[in-house]
Amino acid sequence: MTTMTAQATQVYQVFIKATPEQIWEAITNPEFTGKYFYGARITVTSDHYHSLSPDGDVWGDDRVLEYDPPRRLVHGWRSLYNPELAAEEPSRVTWEIEEQDGGYSLLTVTHDQLEGAPKTAESVSGQGWMMVLSGLKTLLETGKPLAG
Amino acid sequence: MDDDAVFRALADPTRRFLLDRLFERDGRTLTELESELEMTRFGAMKHLRVLEDAGLVVTRRSGRKKLHYLNPVPIRLVHDRWIDKYTEPRVSALAELKALLEESA
Repeated sequence: MTTMTAQATQVYQVFIKATPEQIWEAITNPEFTGKYFYGARITVTSDHYHSLSPDGDVWGDDRVLEYDPPRRLVHGWRSLYNPELAAEEPSRVTWEIEEQDGGYSLLTVTHDQLEGAPKTAESVSGQGWMMVLSGLKTLLETGKPLAG
Repeated sequence: MDDDAVFRALADPTRRFLLDRLFERDGRTLTELESELEMTRFGAMKHLRVLEDAGLVVTRRSGRKKLHYLNPVPIRLVHDRWIDKYTEPRVSALAELKALLEESA
């Protein structure tokens, strides 16, 4: 679909009409993540990030590096859903939530330290994170998962 | 996020050129981006500012450098809102026709 060389640092940002607390809940509660994160049921605690596929396969199992609800979450990333990607070096994902005027929050997802994981970088760029963020926005603003 | 700001930002060839440069390689400084444009530093800054206001470019500090990153999410949202809406009914009409024809065959 794309010919670009995927970047070692990727930044995605979206305004969501929701409070920081609602966004935090939506990114750390498996009942929510299952509705917009490719079906992944993600559990986040102060030290552990765990992601399960709808069939119960382990898609993610990483350390939480920073845990500051409802503002900031940093965790490791290995793409365990694909053996070829899983063999690459771990990278890092940072979620930042900033409250804005008018009931909006600004969510910024930075996926970096991808220098040792070029295939993962390619796989999460373009549609990858974008579908997650647009799905999250739709879910929080309408209560419904993104169609399709 | 304001759709108008996204459409306005995309309605200029210099700004689309800047987005394409960032698509090729992200995380560039103003100096790097400016070197690809035939305009003053001030002109380049002005265009980047419009892209930033529309949310299409996000800046990050790295030491003393200010790096510019392409944020594709607003384009996705405009796509979902304005493009899917008009293309989907036709696609589903064709899918229905196909089902109908196959049923009667």
